[in-house]
Amino acid sequence: MLTKKGLKPPGYLKTGTTIVGVVCKDCVVLGADTRATAGSIVADKNCEKIHNMAPNILCCGAGTAADTEAVTDNISSQLKLHRYHTGRESRVVTALTLLKSHLFRYQGHVSAALVLGGVDVTGPHLHTIYPHGSTDTLPFATMGSGSLAAMAIFESEYREGLTRDEGVNLVTKAICSGIFNDLGSGSNVDICVIEKGKTEYLRNHLTPNPRTYISSKGYTFSKKTEVLHTKITPLKELVDVVQVGGDAMEE
Amino acid sequence: MGDSQYSFSLTTFSPSGKLVQIEHALTAVGSGQTSLGIKASNGVVIATEKKLPSILVDETSVQKIQILTPNIGVVYSGMGPDSRVLVRKSRKQAEQYNLLYKEAIPVTQLVRETAAVMQEFTQSGGVRPFGVSLLVAGYDDKGPQLYQVDPSGSYFSWKASAMGKNVSNAKMFLEKRYTDDMELEDAIHTAILTLKGLLVFEGQISGKNIEIGVIEADRTFRVLTAAQIEDYLQEVE
Repeated sequence: MLTKKGLKPPGYLKTGTTIVGVVCKDCVVLGADTRATAGSIVADKNCEKIHNMAPNILCCGAGTAADTEAVTDNISSQLKLHRYHTGRESRVVTALTLLKSHLFRYQGHVSAALVLGGVDVTGPHLHTIYPHGSTDTLPFATMGSGSLAAMAIFESEYREGLTRDEGVNLVTKAICSGIFNDLGSGSNVDICVIEKGKTEYLRNHLTPNPRTYISSKGYTFSKKTEVLHTKITPLKELVDVVQVGGDAMEE
Repeated sequence: MGDSQYSFSLTTFSPSGKLVQIEHALTAVGSGQTSLGIKASNGVVIATEKKLPSILVDETSVQKIQILTPNIGVVYSGMGPDSRVLVRKSRKQAEQYNLLYKEAIPVTQLVRETAAVMQEFTQSGGVRPFGVSLLVAGYDDKGPQLYQVDPSGSYFSWKASAMGKNVSNAKMFLEKRYTDDMELEDAIHTAILTLKGLLVFEGQISGKNIEIGVIEADRTFRVLTAAQIEDYLQEVE
């Protein structure tokens, strides 16, 4: 009825980012680009899109940066309290359920599309979570505006039982595909490898877009500016300082 | 707090100006199992006796010393269930502080907030004061700290303190042995000796009937395992 009146329903927002995840043998590798955009302007050339949910669980976020940051912080807090209460390591499905419930409650108004990955007692897990609260469980996943470019790499090169290094290379390739072929993604590649008992955050694992125009010698002006005329006016001559009788300033 | 029928506080002043309910709460604490804490120059140790009602109780399921944040731990004397409520609230408050300020909560702030909760229950409708005193041990930018929080909501910073049964003997012992430049290892030994000296253990003092929690310069609170306690016990022998 409202559409008839001209109200456009919120469409699926594909946002400026490439985030991916892949399940390898005994580990999960997450990857993200580092460009944050405000419309067609690059707002941050090296932002961090991989968020901490728990020591063994991490989450890549695409969508509105404030939303992904807030929702991951909130659920990370809840998971910490849960860990203290139960005395156990957090499970990926717990993080998944807390995130999807939160997003569903907000009916898609919290614009956060997430790739959640981690290793817990039940093994390695990888999930995607959409802004409306639906989730998928996958061996490899991509989200964001660069997801098609990254998925093309996965679909042609993914195999079951990848080793850690093969996984890192595949993820790097997929993110690079997003960086170079999608305008909404760019700059560097962040990687995170989660194994049983160990999490490695490789910030700026690859920097394929360095600034090339800075001279290593520093910038020098070719010609010195000529001094034509010098005039010094001491300010004391312009202002009369008068001490008022009594307290200069009452506290 | 409480029904409309119980919107009045159950803790009321006596003619002599005392809050009798709080005095009774302190009595409840005084009849609880002994716990103590010692602040050393490079850390804090808290310990308690873990006397179970029967040999049939699975002692591995009981943990009296709890962690509140990675760098703050707590032990209680008095009613266990009351302490659980406080521990849960404190953890939540610490986490809320962290979310708001993106900073680990300082020990004094957490103690202050926990004490405020305990005070609330002495002034709200239909509730009774908590029957526990807490010893909060933490290590933050101000260094190692030890605080005691009472059912009234008052808190004090201590160099060494004890609560529960035999508290006066324990404090005398601690007063004699405490030195300002004490190191954590000495503090742990002193804590064990205090517990050993005061208490009448049915069998022997062992890793299974006392609990010890420590925090050092690495700012990570940990509860010692029974095996680690046994090692310290052997050193003390």
